[in-house]
Amino acid sequence: MAIKRTYEEINKRIKKGKAVIATAEEIIPIVEEKGIERAAKEIDVVTTGTFGPMCSSGAIINFGHSDPPIRMQKAWLNDVEAYAGLAAVDVYLGATQLSESQGMEYGGAHVIEDLISGKKIKLKAISRGTDCYPRREIESYITKESINQAILFNPRNAYQNYNVAVNTSDKKIYTYMGILLPNMGNANYCTSGQLSPLLNDPQFRTIGIGTRIFLGGTQGYIAWEGTQFYPQVLKGEPNKTVNKGGTLAVIGDLKEMSTDYIRAATFKGYGVTLVEGIGIPIPILNSEIMKSVSAKDEDIWTDVIDYSFPHLKKPSLGRVNYRQLREGKITIQRKDVPASPLSSYAKAREIAQKLKDKILRGEFLLQEPIQKFPKQNKFKPLLEIR
Amino acid sequence: MLSKKVIFTFSPQNVERPVTYQLIRKYDLWINILQAKFKPSLGGKLVLELKGENNQIEEGLNFVRQMGVGVEFLEQEVLWDEEKCIDCGACVSICPTGVLSLDKETFKLKFDYEKCIVCGNCVEACPLQAIKVTF
Repeated sequence: MAIKRTYEEINKRIKKGKAVIATAEEIIPIVEEKGIERAAKEIDVVTTGTFGPMCSSGAIINFGHSDPPIRMQKAWLNDVEAYAGLAAVDVYLGATQLSESQGMEYGGAHVIEDLISGKKIKLKAISRGTDCYPRREIESYITKESINQAILFNPRNAYQNYNVAVNTSDKKIYTYMGILLPNMGNANYCTSGQLSPLLNDPQFRTIGIGTRIFLGGTQGYIAWEGTQFYPQVLKGEPNKTVNKGGTLAVIGDLKEMSTDYIRAATFKGYGVTLVEGIGIPIPILNSEIMKSVSAKDEDIWTDVIDYSFPHLKKPSLGRVNYRQLREGKITIQRKDVPASPLSSYAKAREIAQKLKDKILRGEFLLQEPIQKFPKQNKFKPLLEIR
Repeated sequence: MLSKKVIFTFSPQNVERPVTYQLIRKYDLWINILQAKFKPSLGGKLVLELKGENNQIEEGLNFVRQMGVGVEFLEQEVLWDEEKCIDCGACVSICPTGVLSLDKETFKLKFDYEKCIVCGNCVEACPLQAIKVTF
C-alpha cells in the first residue's frame, strides 16, 4: 500500500524521539538499496543544506530611541549606509552596500557578521529635525544586546540551481560568479546539487510560506516566494531538464545566528555579499516526495553560460550535471575545463546533518506551509521606456 | 635530491649581486625561477625552487644570507587561514599548478604547498580573504 503521512504524525514521532531522519545525501544509497516505496515507509524526514553567497540579503534593525529623539533620515553603520526611509529608528541594512571609507573591503554583510559576533558597531545618523523629533544628528555605538531587533530578512535566497559560469573572451573577468579566466580557463558553479533544498522538492510540494527552516544557525521561516521566482522547468536537451528559478524570501532572528553559518565575503572586482547557511527539512508525505529527495548529482543538470557576453541573455554553451562538476572537470565544446564551486559542499553537508540532529533531539518541528507558492510565474525584464 | 622553495629579498645595496649564478656554480644547485620582481633603486624579490643535496642547499642559503639577502621559505609566506576558510572551492580551478583541491570524501580544502608557484591567483579569488601572501 502506498505510504501517506501527515505533518502531525511526523511531529508526534519527532516529539516521541521515534522519527527516522536521513540527509539528502544519505537517502541516495538507502533508496538504491530498498527502492522508493520501502524507503518512503521507513524514513519520515529528509534534510537538505546549502552554504553559499546570497546577495539579496539584509537586516531590519531597530535601534531604540535616543533622548532627545531623532527621526533618522540617513544612517550609517561602520560607515556603511543603511536605508532609513522607514519610521524613526528602523533601518534596512543591505548586505551588498559598500563602506564609504573602505570600499569593497567592507560592506553591509561585514556589519551583519560583526553584529552577530557581538562586536561594537559605530552608528551615525542625520535628520532635518521635526517638532516631534527635534534631534538632527547622533553618533553612538550599538551591539546586538543594545538594540531592540535585528531581523535578517532576505528577499531572494537559496537559488534552486544556478548557471555554470565561463568566459570565452581573451580577458580575465571579475564577476559575482568569481574570477573567470580567459578562453574558458576555468568554470565556476554555485549549488550544493543533491543536497540543495529546492532541488530536493522541485515541485514545491512541501516548501511554501511558513515553512520552518534552518537559517544561519538558528530557526527561521520562509516568508514568501523569493523575488524573480520562476518555478517552471527549463526544457532543452532531452533527459537534461533544468529546474533553475525557484527562490525563497526568508526571515529569522539575527541575534540568535552564528558566524559558523553566516559570513561576509568579498568577490574581487564585484563587491560584498553574504554567505549563508540554509537547511530545509522535507517531510516524506508520500512516495513521490521520496522520489524527489532521492535525486542524485548526475540527475541534476544546469546550463554553462558565457559571462563574457555583456548582455542580459547570455549564450548557453551546453548542459552539464553536478556529478561532472563535482569531479572537477567538465568538457565544453571539446575543451576540458577545470570546474570549482563557490558554495561549500562541506558546509552544506554539515548543515543537513545539524538539522537532522536537531530534529532527532526534538528541538526542531516541521511546519506545514500556510500557503503554497504559485505554480507558474513570469520572469520579466526591465524595459527602457522613454 | 631535495627540493625547497625560497624567497630572496634584495635591498638596493645587494640587488646587483649575481646570486643565482653563484648558487649554480659554487653549490651545484638546480634552480627554477618561479617569480622575479626587481626595481634597481628599491631592491626586489626572487622566488626560486632549489634542488640539490641537503647540505648543498643549506650552505648555498648561508652564502646568500651572508650577502645580506633575506631568505624565507615559501610555506611561511603563503598563509592559509583555516579558521576563516569555508571550504567553498573558489580557489581551486583558478590555481594553475593544482595546489588547491577539495578532498573527494570530505570536500574540505587541501593545500599542497609543494606545488605552489606564488602566482597569487588564489589570494584574489578567495571570497573570505582567507589566503594571504606576505611578501
